[in-house]
Amino acid sequence: MAIDPRHVGRRYGPFRTTVCAERIRDFATAVAGGVPGHFGTSTGEPHPYFVDEEAAARSRYGSLVAPPTFGVTFAMHPFALACADPEIGLDLVHLLHAEQEFEYGSVVRPGDVLTTTGEVVEVRSKGPLDFMTVRSETRNQAGELVLSGRWSAVVRNPSPSPS
Amino acid sequence: MKGLREFGVGDAFELRRSADRYRPVYYAAVSGDFNPIHIDREVARLAGFPDAILHGMCTLGWLADACTAYFGDPGRMKRLRARFSRPVLVGDTVTFRGRCVAVEGGVVRVEVEAVNQRGEEVLRGASAEASFEE
Repeated sequence: MAIDPRHVGRRYGPFRTTVCAERIRDFATAVAGGVPGHFGTSTGEPHPYFVDEEAAARSRYGSLVAPPTFGVTFAMHPFALACADPEIGLDLVHLLHAEQEFEYGSVVRPGDVLTTTGEVVEVRSKGPLDFMTVRSETRNQAGELVLSGRWSAVVRNPSPSPS
Repeated sequence: MKGLREFGVGDAFELRRSADRYRPVYYAAVSGDFNPIHIDREVARLAGFPDAILHGMCTLGWLADACTAYFGDPGRMKRLRARFSRPVLVGDTVTFRGRCVAVEGGVVRVEVEAVNQRGEEVLRGASAEASFEE
């Protein structure tokens, strides 16, 4: 069933998140093949700027920074809420993340207080597939843009609708 | 850290990561995305997959790690994008092969191919840009 285009423009947020060094470390550890909470268990090496306070203190940033995809922890809420929004009514069992784009502004550091808002910007259909795209925008406590995201979901309709 | 002059069109890099049985569970914990399709085999089967599928965002995290290792500095990343063309299943290993396609105006651009152990593409149109201007 095609997604009703009247949902374009639906907004979510603002959502506020305080960035925490331990969460950055656990995130980088898990992505690199390790166990969250057990730094040093990764099969890959997380970048030192994510996990090593001393190395990060000597960097041009002067502190740890968040990995490029850490936005999943603070900027995904609008997309997640739109996907589960009963008004839009997507079939969650047949929904997948289809495409992702990020544009980066200022780096994200521990202690940053981030505010994210989001909006449904596109719905379209292609054969049995329905797509919805949500744009997110996240700013830090200084008002600087840190992340713009375009989050697209696809719903794979299992059988054609009789109508 | 690398400077702009150390990047050249044609540079190649590679990273390999595996979706072990617990990877989607760990990724759910650190990302906050507990969609059951990633952690419950029965829900994944309802959706038509043989087993739990890894979060696309974890695959994107692997892509970012591959690009970051080449760029040298994660804070230089300006853009990252990919289409999730095929799910990564528990048990899959993904190989990322990237190459530098442009160095222009202080910006280094890479394109990356990501294939599973069967040689099937799991990402399409994967690319990243980093800015080395002060």
